[in-house]
Amino acid sequence: MRINWEDLQSKSFYQATARERAYGIVDKDTFKEFLGPRDKMTSPHLLILGEAVEFDDGITVGVGMIKKHPVFVISQEGKFVGGALGEVNGAKMAYTMKLALKTYEKMKEKYGTVPDDRKPICIVSFDSGGVRLHEANAGLLMHSESMETIWELQNKVPYIALTGSTIGAYGAQGFVCLSADVVIANDFGRIGLTGPEVIQQEVGKDEFDASDRALIWRTMGARSKYILGDVDYLIKDSIGTFRDTIINIVDQPMSKISKTRKVGSPQLVEENLEVVKLAAEKKIKDSKDLWKIYGNTNVDEIPEMPQDKFLSVVKRRPRRI
Amino acid sequence: MALRELNFEFKPESPKTIKDEWSHIGVVASGDLEVLIEKENALKGKIKIHILTTVVGFDDVWETVVKKFIDKTGLSGVKVDINDNAATPAVVIRRLQQAVDNGGGLQ
Repeated sequence: MRINWEDLQSKSFYQATARERAYGIVDKDTFKEFLGPRDKMTSPHLLILGEAVEFDDGITVGVGMIKKHPVFVISQEGKFVGGALGEVNGAKMAYTMKLALKTYEKMKEKYGTVPDDRKPICIVSFDSGGVRLHEANAGLLMHSESMETIWELQNKVPYIALTGSTIGAYGAQGFVCLSADVVIANDFGRIGLTGPEVIQQEVGKDEFDASDRALIWRTMGARSKYILGDVDYLIKDSIGTFRDTIINIVDQPMSKISKTRKVGSPQLVEENLEVVKLAAEKKIKDSKDLWKIYGNTNVDEIPEMPQDKFLSVVKRRPRRI
Repeated sequence: MALRELNFEFKPESPKTIKDEWSHIGVVASGDLEVLIEKENALKGKIKIHILTTVVGFDDVWETVVKKFIDKTGLSGVKVDINDNAATPAVVIRRLQQAVDNGGGLQ
């Protein structure tokens, strides 16, 4: 199989397949895939149900290098069953994270310390709607295993989340995405818990109109998340820019990287609850109202303006921690 | 309803094989398919094709489409695995050609 690394660098992150994203993010010709298509590890559940199967079960996992860092990459494919987490691809995800942790522990055991310029990195490129309903319990089990591993990675292995593919990070994967140390997104990035269609179906069109694309993007899109502080880097849409942003982060000391964490301590929970309190007090009906509170004046233009201009004028939620 | 499984074996008139050891292309999205080509020494001059598809009742179309591609290109000495999610014949031919190109082309 041939993949041209140079071509990938200028390729749109949004349009790239999971495998292309995984190969393009790490250094040239360093990516080694685990359980690739040739291993034919397909989902046993989909086969019984008569649903189409895929040899890699909709996820590309493996290890590569960025400078001197071993980088464990997990890349989800949104076009296959909505990128949903099943037994096989969930296990691939959780155990690649565990491998990152194990690498850290082995390095520590052998050399005493893990230097900042050599520490292992865990990167997840999200493109998933959550747990695969065809194999719900098995998928949920793997979701909880990956959450547990993320907890163990804390303050040891930097965990970087990328969003900016067709689906984004929804459902269970919304949790996994926001548990990251750093979240990087392009303008197509989306993070949420319940998707627009499901909110409309369950609560009604008055609550959330799933046909209103502008409403969806200003509620769950990367720009709104950037203002709220859930997204740390908002960048241009190419695999190369994602790679460059990651390169700038990886050499920093762990204490600095984990400064942008959104969950993981009582102080952070309190800080997050302040947003909920604010929304309840000010009776926020739309994301625009919240943007106004944080000091943005031109809220009607924010979703439409070019990214460079947005980044120069935007005012974000101040972080205390 | 289980997946439809099809197996074909052909012997093209002017056999050629791919350059690389293996090749893979495509994502099993709706209306799309993935193709995996692996070299196998035991299959010299022959080709084995295994298809898993969600569509029932189009076995003859599959045979025609695949046979046409193999007669045209002479692809052989390989095992081809296809996972399909209701792709049209045009997409099937395109992906097969892409898979061959991804394996370094024919020789």
